[in-house]
Amino acid sequence: MDSELLIVGVNHHWSPVEVRERLAIHPDKVPTFLQRLTRYRGVEEAAVLSTCNRVEVVLVAREVEEAVNVVTGELVTSEACSEKILRDNLLEYRGREAVRHLFRVAASLDSLVVGEPQILGQMKDFYRRAVATGSVGVVLHRCFHKAFSVAKRVRTQTGVANRAVSVSSAAVELASKVFERLDDKTALLIGAGTIGELAARHLLSHGVRGLLVINRNFERAVAVAKQFEATPMPLEELSQALLWADVVIGATAAENFVLTADVVRQALRQRKFRPLFLIDLSVPRNFDPKINQLDQVYLFDIDDLAAVAQQNKEQRAREADRAELIVEAEVDSFMRWWRSLEVTPTIVALRERLERIRQREVEQFLASHPELDNALLEDIRRFSRALLAKFLHSPLTQIKREGGKKEKLYLAAARRLFQLDPGEDDE
Amino acid sequence: MSMVMLLLAVGAYSLATATFLIHVVGGKQWSRRLGDVALIVGASAHAVAWGLRLAAFGYRALAPLPEQLSAMALFAVAVYLLVSLRVSLSAVGAAVAPLAAIASVSAYFFEAGGPPQTVPPSGLWVPFHVGPTLLGYGVFALSFCLSLAYLVQERQLKGKARSGIFRRLPSLQTLDEWNHRFVVWGFVFFTVGIVSGSWLAKQRWGELWSWDPVQTWSGGAWVLYASLLHLRSVGWRGKRAAQLVVWSFLFLLVSFIGVSMFFPGRHGVQTTWTRNS
Repeated sequence: MDSELLIVGVNHHWSPVEVRERLAIHPDKVPTFLQRLTRYRGVEEAAVLSTCNRVEVVLVAREVEEAVNVVTGELVTSEACSEKILRDNLLEYRGREAVRHLFRVAASLDSLVVGEPQILGQMKDFYRRAVATGSVGVVLHRCFHKAFSVAKRVRTQTGVANRAVSVSSAAVELASKVFERLDDKTALLIGAGTIGELAARHLLSHGVRGLLVINRNFERAVAVAKQFEATPMPLEELSQALLWADVVIGATAAENFVLTADVVRQALRQRKFRPLFLIDLSVPRNFDPKINQLDQVYLFDIDDLAAVAQQNKEQRAREADRAELIVEAEVDSFMRWWRSLEVTPTIVALRERLERIRQREVEQFLASHPELDNALLEDIRRFSRALLAKFLHSPLTQIKREGGKKEKLYLAAARRLFQLDPGEDDE
Repeated sequence: MSMVMLLLAVGAYSLATATFLIHVVGGKQWSRRLGDVALIVGASAHAVAWGLRLAAFGYRALAPLPEQLSAMALFAVAVYLLVSLRVSLSAVGAAVAPLAAIASVSAYFFEAGGPPQTVPPSGLWVPFHVGPTLLGYGVFALSFCLSLAYLVQERQLKGKARSGIFRRLPSLQTLDEWNHRFVVWGFVFFTVGIVSGSWLAKQRWGELWSWDPVQTWSGGAWVLYASLLHLRSVGWRGKRAAQLVVWSFLFLLVSFIGVSMFFPGRHGVQTTWTRNS
């Protein structure tokens, strides 16, 4: 009959993007979704997290099976997705598993790219929306706050987040070893396809000052340039563009080299040997590998970048092991708190604590009044016990009687007001 | 007492050398921090040793060649530490620390041999000639270290960054820019030293330039550094500039150490142990 922490949903481990995108919950629809959930009697608290890698509903519920059905029903009605597909993809985490999962998600240990930092911000945003909706109670409140602090610990105490593990970020990492800063550098994108766009976006997000776009089909160059507020240039002006650019990305479908050593050598002389950083993302390659032999030019093709990213991935995996230890310790601490949030242990702890205070005060009083005779002494003791019993009567009855959605709230409040968990603070 | 401080400096510089190497090769952050601390301790002890030495012998303390090398190393470390406040050159410490260790060891063994003998002609030559020259040489030594770091980093990137050392070294742009800055600063001090030296030569020998071996060779080094600065403006930057700095500094060292030892002329740098004289 006790309530359980529960996570129900789909994520990138099991479900393809076609399923995830159909279930995704727009941030604006979070309040209505959560309100519908908490209307059910068995659901005490609820929050939801919907990103491109996961749609997960976090619940505190009494009847686990019923709660799963409720969530399934709500997810099916909220978006165009058949119940069968959803049932096939649905993941469930309960109790300790659920807590661990939430902590690992916050710490970006469960991400597609382990260590990517966006997830924490998204999680905080969805948490805030749930709080505003009023569907978060004492358990989820503490659980999410713990998750955020776990994420912080993992970020500061392990190296999980500080290596570039994608090809694009490896390119940025290498560029930053040629150039100290990117915000006064210009990038040139040759080939305005999807891969090139992605790489350009990555560079821009790292603060590259300007972007030039060259494409065989000039209209396409114009279209892509518009999207990035970049400058489109026709292919014929390639050698001119090489004088302005510091970083050059090659991503065309050309069968031959778009950039030869001779062209680059000439450009270098004109740019007085200011360094050039070249990234060749195409297969077959766009830039003649001989270019790398020229002074002041650094050329990396897709395999070189993948090799750097792979090194970093291995390093990151080692760091992730350390992060898992942090998560495990924090899950333990949360579970201790969680188990204490039950009626009987709380009542016992409350009684013991007040009883200790009563005894200490009474004995101190009696010690400072040796003139009192034995009969009076006993009376005073009896009186103090009666007083304590009267004081406790009403709160204890309330706690025992409550048992509904607010039970955990009362229990948590009692534990906090009477300091029943020494050394535990709330954040 | 100055010997004790110098020994402490030698120890700290050696420790810094080891920890910086551990950092560059193994990527350990603690060892970089330890290296910085060791370098600061080393430079402080070194400076105190110098203060005591000057107090005991006056400017005469600067006459022996090993002492000049030690002063130059102290200038290099001090400038490195000052610049580190503004820009992290961390791994460059791996080149600065061993130079400082070698120079202070040589001074230590020289001092163990006895007090300096050569008497300077006038008190003025130290502040106006030897001071700026050694400061200039110290800054050139730093640019030499940066050039070595540049050449290593350049190889790393050309070799597709397979080993991970590239992460610990600063960017090529930083190395190149500071290298250039150090060459300019060093050149300024070096020029002041040569001009004041010529003026002192006029006072002492009656002519500004007398083709004294030390004068001649350092004149050559000056021309090298001047051309280095000029070549940069026509595109000799990066790897070529770094290589040129390495060769120029080696030339400078030869002219400084070799010529003083083998063709002393009348320049009055003490190069031999003089306990018995």
